[in-house]
Amino acid sequence: MPQRLRTTLYYAALWLVSLIFFAPVAWIILSSFKTRNDILATPPKLIFSPTFENYVDLFTRSTFMLQLVNSVFLSLAAVVLAVFVSFLAAFCFSRFKPKGTDFLMFLLLSIRMLPGPAVIMPVYLMYVAFGWKDNHIGLIFFYAMFSIPFSVWILKGFLDGVSTRFDETGRVNGGSWVHVIFRVVLPQVKPGLIAAFIFNLIFVWNEFLFNFIIGGVSTQNIPYALAVGAYADGGLNWTFIATLTSIYIVPPVLFIYFFQKYLLVGMTFGTVRGEV
Amino acid sequence: MSTNSISRALDNRKFLVFALLAPVLAFFIVFNTIPTLWLLGLSFHKFSLISGTPPEFFGIRNFQDIFFNKNNVWGDLRRTFLFVVVGVSIQTVLGVLLGFLFWGSKDMPGRRVALTLLFTPMVLTPIATGTFFRFIYDPTFGALNFLLSGLFGTGVIDFLGNPSIAYWAVLAVDCWMWTPFMTLMTLAALGSVPKAELEAAEIDRLSWPQRVSMVIWHHGKFILMLGILLRTIDAFKTLDLIIPMTKGGPGQTTRLVAVELNKQGFESFHMGWSSAVSVLLLLISIAMTSIFIYILNRRRKAG
Repeated sequence: MPQRLRTTLYYAALWLVSLIFFAPVAWIILSSFKTRNDILATPPKLIFSPTFENYVDLFTRSTFMLQLVNSVFLSLAAVVLAVFVSFLAAFCFSRFKPKGTDFLMFLLLSIRMLPGPAVIMPVYLMYVAFGWKDNHIGLIFFYAMFSIPFSVWILKGFLDGVSTRFDETGRVNGGSWVHVIFRVVLPQVKPGLIAAFIFNLIFVWNEFLFNFIIGGVSTQNIPYALAVGAYADGGLNWTFIATLTSIYIVPPVLFIYFFQKYLLVGMTFGTVRGEV
Repeated sequence: MSTNSISRALDNRKFLVFALLAPVLAFFIVFNTIPTLWLLGLSFHKFSLISGTPPEFFGIRNFQDIFFNKNNVWGDLRRTFLFVVVGVSIQTVLGVLLGFLFWGSKDMPGRRVALTLLFTPMVLTPIATGTFFRFIYDPTFGALNFLLSGLFGTGVIDFLGNPSIAYWAVLAVDCWMWTPFMTLMTLAALGSVPKAELEAAEIDRLSWPQRVSMVIWHHGKFILMLGILLRTIDAFKTLDLIIPMTKGGPGQTTRLVAVELNKQGFESFHMGWSSAVSVLLLLISIAMTSIFIYILNRRRKAG
């Protein structure tokens, strides 16, 4: 077989694999353009006249806007907060190695290894006792706490790779620690910051349980809405679910397209470096 | 305090270390340490949020109950471990195969788009995935039933309603979501193999099995192991995929440990009992974290 044909076949096979994995998602997106009758047609319809009615309908629902705003606000606020404090802590762990660094890093990681309900149960009791439930600040703080382990692990890996000479030079030349940390070291770990930011953002964006348990009606995000069947008017309303999902997956998919080189770092707590 | 005196205070090393760590420590003490101690305390109590009575000291009764399989805890754990073992095995085998397949694709046109499509299942909202797979699996309207009966002439299969199939149907969705992750890890592992050694192996005309066992495995094993471990830990926590699909049913067939804990804690509000189960899970996850860190350290030493 000539080389060219072989390469073409090989690429075709790869594309086929990718498309097979994407097929269910494509089906969701396709369904979002169907009318209610088309979506429940038997046999399922591949060819139909697309409608944008579902999208118009969705955006005119007042709850949807609230949920969308909550999703954006909660994830951005929590992750920005988490990445900032994690950067400071990671710097400390990386440069000064205070006593108990290993233990603290271990502790940080182990919280991410615990099933969600076990993490949230005592927090729930605490929030109920203090009256912090259904409060944006309370939820943001908790999400931030949950994003910290990831961020510290990712950032420490990157900070370990920045030579301490930079700090020393900065200090010798009369720079304050604030200057060294934010002006000298921070720019060099930008990839780490981006990876920590994106992957915690995707996590909080997709998170449902914590929002459901310690949040409430005023803090509900879109996964919450999907889980409680907010769009169920007598049986599940598939057109709404399909439309909602199609909109909701856009940011994460864009992230993994534009930040593909951070994918690996992000999905492995920074323990594996490299590009795919 | 002026900014000047702040930076002078930061010159004191002890103060600097403290100032840098303080925010994270504060977060952790308030949102993790105190709750965990609370959890430990509660696990020795009988406490239901609905009854309105204050927690009643219970000694180790909760743990005894767990030991004697109250509420079929061990059944949940067994199902969870089966889910982890079978799921992660399938994902690893498939993921590694796909990883090898994608290895030589550096110059493929549209590679980035293809990889994005491949990796999309990982970043989908699990709740949305679960909800929509309920639709795809639906016996009447579902696309999958239509496809299968069209291709293989199978009758109508109620994937999520049939107790002997539901578990595997849920597992299949988990595999669909996470096989790309193992592909990603395999690509990383293959990327860590030095080009020179691969070329040497090619010049020496090593057969493919030899290349894999002698060259690739040596360099790639740690990353692959980390991948398997991360998947194991994650699969152990599976919850929001199952809630919209089956809620643990039919019967108890898809009741994984996290699903049941969620129900006991936040639907039945048996806080004492749920705390005891959580403590058990905490121990399991500490053990898994230790293994993770052990492998990580070995990798660091190996260089």
